[in-house]
Amino acid sequence: MSEPRRTAELARPAGGKRREHWRPPRGRHRLPPEVIARSQRERLLSAAIEVVAEKGYAATTVADLTREAGISRTTFYEMFEDKEACFLAAYEAAVDVLTRRIATAFEAEQGWPARVRAGLEALLASLAAEPRLARLALVDVGSAGPAAQRRYRAALQRMTPFFDEGRDYAPNGRALPANTSRMAIGGVIGLVADEIEGGRTERLPELLPEVLFATCLPYLGPEAAAREVGKSAAPAKK
Amino acid sequence: MGRHSRFQSSEMAVEIESKREQILTAMVRVVGRQGYEATSVADVIEEAGTTRTTFYRNFEDKHECFLAAYDVLIDRVFTRIVGECDAGRSWVDRVRKGLATLLDFFAEEPEMARAAVVEVAGAGAEARRKHTDALTRFTAYLDGGRRLHPEAELPEHISTMAAGAVSALIFDELVAERGAQLPSQLPELLFAMLVPYIGPAAAAEEMRRAA
Repeated sequence: MSEPRRTAELARPAGGKRREHWRPPRGRHRLPPEVIARSQRERLLSAAIEVVAEKGYAATTVADLTREAGISRTTFYEMFEDKEACFLAAYEAAVDVLTRRIATAFEAEQGWPARVRAGLEALLASLAAEPRLARLALVDVGSAGPAAQRRYRAALQRMTPFFDEGRDYAPNGRALPANTSRMAIGGVIGLVADEIEGGRTERLPELLPEVLFATCLPYLGPEAAAREVGKSAAPAKK
Repeated sequence: MGRHSRFQSSEMAVEIESKREQILTAMVRVVGRQGYEATSVADVIEEAGTTRTTFYRNFEDKHECFLAAYDVLIDRVFTRIVGECDAGRSWVDRVRKGLATLLDFFAEEPEMARAAVVEVAGAGAEARRKHTDALTRFTAYLDGGRRLHPEAELPEHISTMAAGAVSALIFDELVAERGAQLPSQLPELLFAMLVPYIGPAAAAEEMRRAA
């Protein structure tokens, strides 16, 4: 993996101990102020994921965030206007990490079916490995107000290019609806969110055959979609 | 129901029932307009033209009221959809009629649509469970499509994903304040709903026909 556990910077792994973030040495130190600010910001974003996952967005206060991050109220307000701004930044960072991982997996393969399979695999694996991040990205975001709803929508929009390539592989690509990829993503994410809500986050990778089938289907048709699923299952059988 | 049994006069019971309904309708409208989080009991009382006492005689709090309102809303939508669907001659016909009815309803009542599809996500785990249950009711209906090609052996969650695809596009349109234009999305949504069961070529044909 070219990006080893990027989200570990943002959230503790599943069931793991509280992760200690690097903190600048106490007392007088000579670290440039922007380095300190960056580490404080990262701790704060990480804290936002932890606290919101634990208490829910509505019950989370700025005081919870500053306590979890070990920073002062003044520092918080130097970085963010309010709780919402902080949550949105944490959300954005989480989506960045997820999108980068999907893109890396996608681009490592040749041909759309193999590429989209790798991308979906990376998505399911990342979410399963970091259940808090998964909850934040796909469940808690719904409770964080209109700006968060728009960010959520934009985040899903960022995934459309991975699906859109399927149009070139489709025998009748031009006849497909303009929103084909948006709807295919919606189907996958809807199922994934249900599983997260149902407490089955760590079993998400098992859904790969189903979500791959549903993703390929509108573009390739049921027979070819089933063949792609068969290909992906083969190496796992050995 | 038990709440009303102590009232002897049926007229009074009817009046109370209608007050309750007014509150439920007001709840959905206010939540759809300003979001669940930003909605207060005071807002709902004002919208319903009722009193605090009446509100709290019927509901514990905002959350309980929203959950009750959600049930009523989904029942209303579902009854309307099923009524239209039953007139359809084939399964494809019934799906198209059902979807068209849903989109027309959402276009007429954009506030209710926002509450039902968008705001429900922020109203707690129980509300989200109700939303999932509602989608399951719709997908149970969709699952009839499996009988068209029983040899296809579709995956377990295929109808959940078909409903998710439709729900995602509706969510997008509502967040973008385009609820009134939802009926124009019928052809594309119909494609997404039919494609697992009849394949892309036939679904594209139905899409053209619905345009």
